[in-house]
Amino acid sequence: MAESAPAAPARSRSPRRRAAEGPTSAEERRAGQTELLGHRAVELSRFYAGKIETVPKVPVRSLHDFSLWYSPGVAAVSRAIEAEPELSFELTGRWNTVAIVTDGSRVLGLGEVGPRAALPVMEGKALLFKFLGGVDAVPIPMQAKSPDELLAAAEAIAPAFGGINLEDIASPKCFGILEELSKRVEIPVWHDDQLGTAAATVAGLLNALKITGRDIRTTRTVLLGAGAANLVTARLLLALGQEPSALTLVDQKGILHAEREDVDELSVRNPWKYRLALRTNGGSRSGPLERAVEDADVLIAASTPRPGTVRPEHVRAMRPEPIVFALANPAPEIWPEVAREAGAAIVATGRSDFPNQVNNSLVFPAVFRGVLDARARSIPDPIVLAAARELARGAEHKGLSVHHILPTMEEAEVFPAVAAAVADAAVAEGVARQRLSHDEFLARAKALMERPARLVRALARAGLTAPMPRGRVGQRRSV
Amino acid sequence: MSPRDVAGKPSASGDGPERKISVRPATEADLPSLVPLLLRLKRLNEEFDPLLKVREDAEKKAREVLRAQIADPKALVLAAEGTGADRGKLVGVVRAVVRERMFYTPELEGVILDIYLLPLYRRRGVGEYLLEEVSSLLKAKGAGVVTAEFPAQNEIAVRFYAKRGFRPVTSIHARSL
Repeated sequence: MAESAPAAPARSRSPRRRAAEGPTSAEERRAGQTELLGHRAVELSRFYAGKIETVPKVPVRSLHDFSLWYSPGVAAVSRAIEAEPELSFELTGRWNTVAIVTDGSRVLGLGEVGPRAALPVMEGKALLFKFLGGVDAVPIPMQAKSPDELLAAAEAIAPAFGGINLEDIASPKCFGILEELSKRVEIPVWHDDQLGTAAATVAGLLNALKITGRDIRTTRTVLLGAGAANLVTARLLLALGQEPSALTLVDQKGILHAEREDVDELSVRNPWKYRLALRTNGGSRSGPLERAVEDADVLIAASTPRPGTVRPEHVRAMRPEPIVFALANPAPEIWPEVAREAGAAIVATGRSDFPNQVNNSLVFPAVFRGVLDARARSIPDPIVLAAARELARGAEHKGLSVHHILPTMEEAEVFPAVAAAVADAAVAEGVARQRLSHDEFLARAKALMERPARLVRALARAGLTAPMPRGRVGQRRSV
Repeated sequence: MSPRDVAGKPSASGDGPERKISVRPATEADLPSLVPLLLRLKRLNEEFDPLLKVREDAEKKAREVLRAQIADPKALVLAAEGTGADRGKLVGVVRAVVRERMFYTPELEGVILDIYLLPLYRRRGVGEYLLEEVSSLLKAKGAGVVTAEFPAQNEIAVRFYAKRGFRPVTSIHARSL
């Protein structure tokens, strides 16, 4: 599955050189570097003691001003909102504030680390929200023993927020939590591991189909891995016109089909997967991945971070000019050069050191910018698809090629456009509280998304953010 | 009872072809197909309570009980056969018995022990048809009331029967020893 963070762009190593070195030596180096980065991250976390803080956004000329910002003046603001609750989006920071909610049950590749250990990750996410999306995000890891407890707590805090970002919650409980919370609150709810990864995947796929001259309605697609990301990718592909019978899901137990031995168990434990088991795989194929990939146009793997999970013979069994996405992190299911040697026309991974990175960070800052600017009540799938389409258009704008099916994190001009497309879609879907024109949404998104970088620079220049202490790694400027 | 076709509606999601079945009393020849269906149901039940853990020799037991009940005039085993592409394939099974109620009237109770349909045949009215079919066959055997046994936590079954006029009459509560 794609990693949330945009890994620091590897400026020192071009993708071409990287590929020529072969996977092993590069892999050893990467492992060594990951360890060094980990050391450095702990060091810096101690030095800065956290990554975000609240900063006033109003002038405070003297303590007298608090009679406006606080009592007694603020009472009138409070009464106004009491009389008209929607004013909470205008008279407070609610319009731009998102809760990052997690129970710490599936943090990065670490698994169930609990809410305290999830906090540094959520702080990092909050930093990304601000830096890339201009969104004020508050990390809220929760001690929740059950999905019901998490739901009740998330529902209870909703009045303070313009949106809720669910983060790092284990599959399949994440599906039920997202569905139920979306019903209970009148603000958009997003789960990046489902929607962010799926939207980025679909965006890349749309361009890959275009380059290889395919129509999604006649494409045979195989999804390897049936977790948070791929179950939503499947749903989005079907919404885009993918023929259900030409879509096959595969997991550790092989091809998912309506008569598989565990299908009744799925009906109880994972109804989302169960429904797809009934709806997809029209040819009633069964068995291993080998059977699924025969005559497939597209293989999207979001499964186990182990090269060799997808093998060259799988790629060779596909139709000519196959499209292969190997999205597991940190190691893809098949190395890009191996996939290409086996005939893959287009390869994408979740990593920044190969071309075509399927990256959540291409999606979530812009999606939240868009839904917050439209003050949306929810994020129905057409909004997710609008984000994917605009992201695809953004890459096309710069020129499509087999190595450029998605914008890179450096192509920052794409993000406000995605935000505006999302806001437009919220209006079109009838979930927007604030209906502005496309140009207004775009201008607003640009302004709000450009401001944080200036803010960070200004704080550094003024000496309010301490310069980064010297260390063995991480000296490279990454932003 | 003679084999009969029943129109299965398109699924609730509107996908896929129509699924029709024909229902008939099972015979010994059906055993190889019926046993796996019955085991699927028992393994589904396992999901609802640890006290419903399926035994190692369940397959043998399933064969034995089905064979005995196919021959037993007080029991009913129905086989649901697919049509079209699924012609000749068994896609569902119903198992029921007639029991005497020692202290109550009506004196004979038709007990539906198992209804299982492969997933693609669900939510199309097929299950309802099987229920009505087995009910009238139990009535013909003298039953004045029809009951159904299933795991208490199986909410889908609770809703399925409640929708068709069933209500809880007796409960079986359990604890491990």
